[in-house]
Amino acid sequence: MLRITGKVVSIAVLGAGFLFPLYWILTMAFKPQDEWSPVGHVYWTPQHWTLDNFRQIFGVAQSTGFFTAAPTDATGPIVHSIVSATGGTLLAMAAGVFTAYGIARFRAGGSFLPFQILQLRMFPPVAIVIPLLIMYSYLHLVDTYWGLILIYGAVTFPFAVWLMRSFFVEVPREISEAAIVDGCSQWGAFFKAVLPQVRGGLAATALFVFILNWSDFLLALVLTSNRVQTAPVFLNSLQSAGAGQEYGPQAALGLVLIVPPAVFGLAIQRYLVRGLTFGAIKR
Amino acid sequence: MSEPALEAEGRQAPHKRLAARFGRSESAVAQTLIAPGQLLLLFVIAFPAIVAIYISFTGWTPESGSLWYQAWKYWLWFDNYWEALSGGAFWHAILRTVIITVLAVAFEFAIGFALALLFLKQFRGRSLLTVVFLLPMMVVPAVAGFIFYMLFQTDGPVNAGLTILLHDVLHVTGGIHIGWLTDPSLVIYSVTIVDIWQWTPLMFLILLSGLVALPEDQLNAARILGASYLQQLRYLVLPMMKPIILIAVIIRAIETLKLFDSAWLLTQGGPGDASSTISVYLYKTTFIATRWGYASAVAILVLIFVSILGMRAIRPIEAATRETIEELATAEPADEAPSLEQEIEAGAVAR
Repeated sequence: MLRITGKVVSIAVLGAGFLFPLYWILTMAFKPQDEWSPVGHVYWTPQHWTLDNFRQIFGVAQSTGFFTAAPTDATGPIVHSIVSATGGTLLAMAAGVFTAYGIARFRAGGSFLPFQILQLRMFPPVAIVIPLLIMYSYLHLVDTYWGLILIYGAVTFPFAVWLMRSFFVEVPREISEAAIVDGCSQWGAFFKAVLPQVRGGLAATALFVFILNWSDFLLALVLTSNRVQTAPVFLNSLQSAGAGQEYGPQAALGLVLIVPPAVFGLAIQRYLVRGLTFGAIKR
Repeated sequence: MSEPALEAEGRQAPHKRLAARFGRSESAVAQTLIAPGQLLLLFVIAFPAIVAIYISFTGWTPESGSLWYQAWKYWLWFDNYWEALSGGAFWHAILRTVIITVLAVAFEFAIGFALALLFLKQFRGRSLLTVVFLLPMMVVPAVAGFIFYMLFQTDGPVNAGLTILLHDVLHVTGGIHIGWLTDPSLVIYSVTIVDIWQWTPLMFLILLSGLVALPEDQLNAARILGASYLQQLRYLVLPMMKPIILIAVIIRAIETLKLFDSAWLLTQGGPGDASSTISVYLYKTTFIATRWGYASAVAILVLIFVSILGMRAIRPIEAATRETIEELATAEPADEAPSLEQEIEAGAVAR
């Protein structure tokens, strides 16, 4: 009995600790300005629920704050985030699926290639920022969709390879061999026989890669300024612009940012561990 | 004549085509398959690496008035490297990053393991609670930084909550005014807390999936033989979980060493440089000090360090996946000519 109580109490305490930050941003998004962070008082719950913060970030209403200089309309950045994360995901998948199949089926590039790809993940992206900027300014890719999509695709490519590889390995070779016996070429066998077998894996990998691209902050911070500034960067600019804090709109935007990864993440919950451990741990 | 014989004869022709495809064209197909990915990697590695190495030997900045390839005008040999390696700022950034990583991974492991043990047995509401504990992991790291920026304000909810607990309820202190984001000796722990909050769920998920997969009869046998819970943990569970624990710890450590997003929104490396991780330090030298030559040298040094670390860190992950790769390696030669002959033999026997 005592052990069960101990268990319940520890789960409850830890659960509360892990939930509180989420509770805070959730309620902050619905608080009116005078409840955000008044001096010497903390509003644990919103006293006057309001949708103003969401109206502001979706550009329906202008900020009413007295000391607000920064515009809070985030529709542009949200669209930029959607386009660049989707584009980067498509690129990473297009390159990653083929590479993964090459590695899983033909051991293309030798046994070292997969680990070379994995090691890329260990480099901090900020370390390649300077040459990237130089290259991008030459190619006129700074602050463009193509620039973001290219780098997103390259950065999440290792995840796509490793996750897809773990799915391809599970497909028996006999399936592609049978297709070849039936007269398909290697490519036909791949597209008609093997790919349909990993449909679930494809979807999970794409969603997983999308979450990673959607979550990027650093690359967009460096490579975009106005035209294609993404939502996390906009969130940051609200933070540094406001001497008077923009907690409410920031929280509303943060909440909007959390929703897609949370929904997708829970949808592919079974594959999260596999993805984040590069397929080393399969459930 | 029996039916199988007919079948075997009818399949002769495709077999020949099969041999041709598997023999010559297979490596061509393999090369074509990996080509787009290789191109993509070339784009982010080859050119940037050359440019970074070149610039790291110079004092060039974008503000110096000449284009990057004219950086040789500001040639400095190894001065930038020497400055980084002999000065304090670079090493302090490394030290802070290592402290944050060690603390964060240790706590993530301890809390994640405890949670995984609590969640091992089925109980009412387990799957719902699992989702609760997974949520922080899905939060965009920059947003996580912003959330804790609100929480850690001096008159924010964390200090207010501590005041309620320690002052109003327990009467042990006065009002709490901890400078989570302003006290230089504290900020790196605030940064660490964000990482712990966000990534303990991953540790929990990995360890739970490991625990679930443990062979139950061995645990049952130990229980019957009278091993206590702690003994079971120490002598059975931990040794069996070792490979998984290793992978979980390594993956978290790699990611924490790169820490930037949440740290930037939380403190921007401040006050001063008190919470600058290596990534934050690099960002600041690039965009605030705009010392591109020096920043490139630091970046190269970091890449070298990470490569050395990475060679070791990759091994357990490699070991975990080698199984399947070796399976393929042994399956490969049998697939080309022999399998064909075997099938023909089988056909001949049937005939």
